[in-house]
This record gives sequence, C-alpha cells and structure tokens, in this order.
Amino acid sequence: MKKKILIVEDEEGLRLLYEEELKAVGYEVLTARNGKEAIQKLEEGKPDLIILDIVMPVMNGMEALGRIVGKERKIPIILNTSYPGYRKDFMSWAADAYVTKSSDLEELKNKIRELLERGKT
Amino acid sequence: MKKVVAMILAGGRGERLYPLTRDRAKPAVPFGAIYRIIDFTLSNCLNSDIRHIYALTQYKSISLHRHIQLGWNILSPPLGEFIEVIPAQQRIDEQWYQGTADAIYQNIYTLQQGRPDLVLILSGDHIYKMDYRMMLAYHLEKGADLTVAAIRMDRKLSREFGVIEVDKDWRIIGFQEKPEIPKTIPGDPEGILVSMGIYVFNVEILVRRLIEDARSESTHDFGRDIFPAMIGKDQVFAFDFRLGDQGGTGYWRDVGTIDAYYEANMDLVSVTPQLNLYDAQWPILTYQPPYPPAKTVLEEEGRVGTAINSILSNGCIISGGRVKRSVLSPRVKVHSYAEIEDSIVLEGVDVGRNAKIRRTIIDKEVQIPEGMEIGYNLDEDSKRFTITDSAIVVVPKWIRL
Repeated sequence: MKKKILIVEDEEGLRLLYEEELKAVGYEVLTARNGKEAIQKLEEGKPDLIILDIVMPVMNGMEALGRIVGKERKIPIILNTSYPGYRKDFMSWAADAYVTKSSDLEELKNKIRELLERGKT
Repeated sequence: MKKVVAMILAGGRGERLYPLTRDRAKPAVPFGAIYRIIDFTLSNCLNSDIRHIYALTQYKSISLHRHIQLGWNILSPPLGEFIEVIPAQQRIDEQWYQGTADAIYQNIYTLQQGRPDLVLILSGDHIYKMDYRMMLAYHLEKGADLTVAAIRMDRKLSREFGVIEVDKDWRIIGFQEKPEIPKTIPGDPEGILVSMGIYVFNVEILVRRLIEDARSESTHDFGRDIFPAMIGKDQVFAFDFRLGDQGGTGYWRDVGTIDAYYEANMDLVSVTPQLNLYDAQWPILTYQPPYPPAKTVLEEEGRVGTAINSILSNGCIISGGRVKRSVLSPRVKVHSYAEIEDSIVLEGVDVGRNAKIRRTIIDKEVQIPEGMEIGYNLDEDSKRFTITDSAIVVVPKWIRL
C-alpha cells in the first residue's frame, strides 16, 4: 500500500513542487496550506508522515506541531524551514527531523524514507 | 548565578480527603488553623530566595486562586519576581492535564519565555520545611541532569511508597513502586529512600524528556514515567532531605487521607509539635484577613469560656463554652455550655449552646444548632456525615443542620 504524506506549506509553488516530486517516487500526497488545515487533514486523511513548514499564516508550524503530537503521538514529523532560529523554540524539539528548505529534494526524500522505515520496526 | 524557576503542581484532587476537597483542590485545603496546604511549599520557595514561581492548577482552582491572589501578592514585579497561577489553558492540547508531566509539557511555552537554567518541580500537596537552595547547590555540584529529593523512612514502610535505590555516591540506580523487599540505603540496612516528588532539572533535559514522554504511550507522570526512564540514561542523583530540612525533625507529610490530616493538625496542639511554626528564620506565610484577636469571655458558675491545649485564631470568640485539644480557624464562635474536644473547626463555624463536638472536623461556615451532639453516636452521625476508619467525623462545608 502507498504511504501517505501530508505536506503543510503556505507557498503554493513549493507545495506543488513537493507534491509532484513525492508522487513521482510513489507516495500518496495530501496538502494543507497552514497548521489549521493540517490538523483537519490529519483527522480525515490519516497520513503516515508530515512535512511541516514553520512560518505560515492562520496557524504556524510550531503551534501545529504541539497539537499534532497531542493527537497522533507516533506520526513522524519533519520540520522543513528556511528560518534558522527555530531551534530556540522548545517545541521544535518534538520533531523527528529537520530539513532546510532547498530546491534539491534529495535530503528530504532520504529523511522520509528513513523515518518510514523506522516506523516499520 | 543560575536562573531558577519553580513550578508547583497544584492540581491535586485529593480524592481521599473528600469531603474537604469537595469544593477545593488539595493544595487549598486549610491546615493548621490559618494556613492552606500550599502555603508551606510557597513559603519554602520564598525562604529559599526563589521568587520566580508558577502554580499550575486544574480542578476546582477558584479557592486556591483567590488565596494566592489575596495572600501572596507580596513579590515585586519590577524586580522580575512573580507568583503566577496558571490554570490548564489547553494551549497545546484540547484536554485537561493527563498527568504531572503533561502539566509541565502543556506549559512548555512558559518555560520558553522565562528561559531558566534550572527548573524546580514541586508538589503543592505536602507539608514540610525545606531549603531548596541546598538541593540546587547539590544538583550543580554533582553535575546532575535530574536530582530527586528523598526522605529516609523505615524499611517496613516500603509497601506504601516509591523506593529509590542509590549507590554509595547517591547516584540513583533503581526505582521500585511499593516493593515488598526494598533496596535499602548503603550503610543503613534499616532505611529506605522515598521520593518526595521534588525534582530539580536542567531545563534542556527536562524539555527533551517531556517531549519524548508526550510522544510515547505513558501515564505522563513524573514519578512513574519521566524519572524512572531517566535512570541509567541521564545523570540522576538523590538529594538527602536531611541536608535541607529546616525543621531538623525530618517532618514531611503528604496528608493524603482524612486520618493523616487529622493527626497532622493534632500534632500542632501538642506542647512541642514536630512541625515548628514559630521559627522566625523560616516563617510560614499565608493570607490573614484583619479579624480582631481571639477572646474568651464569661466566668460564671458552669459557664466559663476556656480553651486548653488548643490553637485559637483571630476572630474567634469562646463565649462561655469549653474547648480542649482542638484547632480553631478564624471566626469560630463557641457559645455557652458548648464543648469541643479533639476537633478541627474551620473558619466561620458557629457552635450553638450546649452543643457537644468530639473527634470531628467541621468544614467552613457551618452552624451547629443548640444542643447538637457530633462524635458521640457514630451510627447517628453516619447518616449525615463522612466517618473515617479512625472514627473521625467530617461535617462538610455549608451543610444546613
């Protein structure tokens, strides 16, 4: 069965890029434009992994992270940001991995594979 | 100097103290005539020069909130000092606190803002006098990630407590919940170390362990989950309560049951109580409204207002009645020919003429009608009141008799 990934990203271009690239390597993809939508999608779509941007309107990634962890303890979360100060935020430590935003998605794809593998054992 | 923040877990329901906890959380339960249980922990903080204090509340917190607002509004915000009451805000999660660890986890933003180096986690449920500075210094000296305060008890009591196992350097190497055969203290085969629910954490370790705990199957409790999981993984040490005990008597009470509550109050009317409230070096602060001083009146044949071996608070009037071995909170009135023995009477209670009260706890604002007897016929009392295993009668707040 295809693994389902939820992409939470407010910037449309980036969201589309991620969506296409991840579909191309065989994942099913859900998208959300902010933290609030992400929480809705979490309940409806039951994703296997979440890629979370931090700076977003309506509800930012850090707040969403706390709420997601409160609802679905086990689901792996990758914080994906270009904002370097985020590690000062205690809540960021709840993420399973951190990937700096880049047009090259190799690192992100590797992390996804790694975290999904880890979940199997 | 290290920046320390104290977080007092003040959400305890105190179910075994029912009906004293019917309308209030356990830390707000009156104790020792004029105090609330939480006053002891708060006083320990101030006497230990800790003036950055959060009290985390949850159930039935109005009474506690009011008490802290009225009585503890004594720090200086311009100097950065505070006692802040934080109710369960559902900031992270839309639920009540799941356990003591969850209570801190849900307030991770509060820690974030304050950016302390060390976090002192305390319970608002216990009565003791302790200099937390000794424990903080010990924590730094040991290079610990977590230090847990421990009190020595007789090994026979092991089945009632969580027992900490230490090596000769007091590094914690094990923890057993209520063991039959406990691990004793090195060099003290009759003694065991019992966790007092007092923790000093380096803030970074605390946050990491809280997040790990939040993301795993757990009861989210410091004593059951966080602390045991750190043994063998992090630098975890026990701190001997005797090194910080300000009474010097090893006094520490959980007052978890009505019987324990009764005994702890009764200790205070003895000639030399184990809990010394008179130490000017370690004052216990509380909220005291400006009531007039206690007085005893009337001196006629058979109608003498007296109080012997008792504690009387401001606003009390013993008017031709007799009080023996009892603890009276403020504004208690004892009318002519009434008798109170071996009892705890809370604020605003009025004991009518010829009433007889024995081995009873009367909660606030109760009117005892003329001639009523309580504590003399337990079958009769059990129809209206709670009666404990030790035959102590509890009359709940505001009951109409």
